[in-house]
Amino acid sequence: MTKRAREVFERFGISKDAFAGLQALEDQETIFVGTHEVMEFDAVRPMRRGIRLARMYPYSLKPTTFGMQVLGMQATRNVIELNDEQAKRLINGESLNIEADVENGFVLLKWQGFVAGVGFYKRPVLKSQIPRFRPVE
Amino acid sequence: MTTLSRVFPKEFVERYSQFIPDSDAFLDAMQRPLKRTFRVNTLKATRERVLDLLADLRPEPLPWYDLGFSLDAGEGLGKRIEHFIGLIYVQEAASMAPPLVLDPQPGERVLDMAAAPGSKTTEMSAMMQNTGIIIANDPSPTRVRGLLGNVDRAGCLNVAVCRMDGPGLGRAVVGTCDKVLVDAPCSSEGTIRKSPQALAHWSVAAIERFPSIQKRLILAGYHALRPGGQMVYSTCTVAPEENEAVVTHLLQRQPEAEVCEVNLPGLVMRPGPVEWERERFPDAVQRCRRILPQDNDTEPFFVALIRRPA
Repeated sequence: MTKRAREVFERFGISKDAFAGLQALEDQETIFVGTHEVMEFDAVRPMRRGIRLARMYPYSLKPTTFGMQVLGMQATRNVIELNDEQAKRLINGESLNIEADVENGFVLLKWQGFVAGVGFYKRPVLKSQIPRFRPVE
Repeated sequence: MTTLSRVFPKEFVERYSQFIPDSDAFLDAMQRPLKRTFRVNTLKATRERVLDLLADLRPEPLPWYDLGFSLDAGEGLGKRIEHFIGLIYVQEAASMAPPLVLDPQPGERVLDMAAAPGSKTTEMSAMMQNTGIIIANDPSPTRVRGLLGNVDRAGCLNVAVCRMDGPGLGRAVVGTCDKVLVDAPCSSEGTIRKSPQALAHWSVAAIERFPSIQKRLILAGYHALRPGGQMVYSTCTVAPEENEAVVTHLLQRQPEAEVCEVNLPGLVMRPGPVEWERERFPDAVQRCRRILPQDNDTEPFFVALIRRPA
């Protein structure tokens, strides 16, 4: 695991066991995560290996919704549990006013025990960082 | 037959009456809308958990696949949270069959030659429990975007997405793949049930556009196999030119290739024609299987399982 990938896992208290059998790869702005076989495949140059774990900025890391959906299931910190209504509003791009026992910054949004995506919390405002596709109803 | 002939072009009816003995039932089934079906994505959730979350829709299990379900009223399934977060994948029932026939195992190297939009790629990724590698390719920039989106949503960590000419990619990985899926681009007659407009574009000339690339892909897929490796060639079309004739082409070029029996308990499948337009197919081609809409209430599909001898 790269140093910056470890930062993502540490923010959410994800055990390094979640990374077993996986490998991270960084380019200038993105951390990707995938199996060793995917990361070491060199017969051709794929346009994408595995899934984006995070975008890298000079002073911060932005975890991705899709990376966290699959690797954030075991998160123990900076997680906000959502009810159905809250989950739908955030997935549809709205913000919520909410009191939560988490640090300001990126948080994982859980619905029914599954990671629905990533949000940004600055007490008391929770902003959705979930990419918008078709609205959920 | 008179009523059906008003719906289907006369040539369509004549072609398929030649080798589908119950062609009235076939044409009747081809006119009915498809049931909505989905697959549980075990990379993110268990079957039991998904059934619990979707209990209000009363999913009915497919008789031949315990992770596949049909719905009587499936409208709005794509707008559910369960779909957004990738717990389920909306996928036509027959389209779930080719990966089941190929049976990729954890840790294997799999080549998916024409992968977009990714239904079968994501299904295989789950079968492999997110281990090993699937090299998922599609040459179209537009279609590959859909593939990337579905790989993301399904949480596939074992997929390398390529956008290359399929035969070129096959040459790059020659002799190294445990499994290869060639779900070939085709004239998509099967999609008539999903989209009746597809019938408006149907013609024999449209069918004739595909065998050339299909033959290149099946040969490239075969060459990508390691000795002892297996390949599935599949299409969602009925035309023998795109199915049995393509497998025959492979056998003419690679006579050592073995066509294996295809069997999925609970799924009714039949052999196709023994000849078409004065071309008699080799006996081994009778081991290929057709999934017909009147047998399982699905789209039609063609599936061939081919093995490269060890």
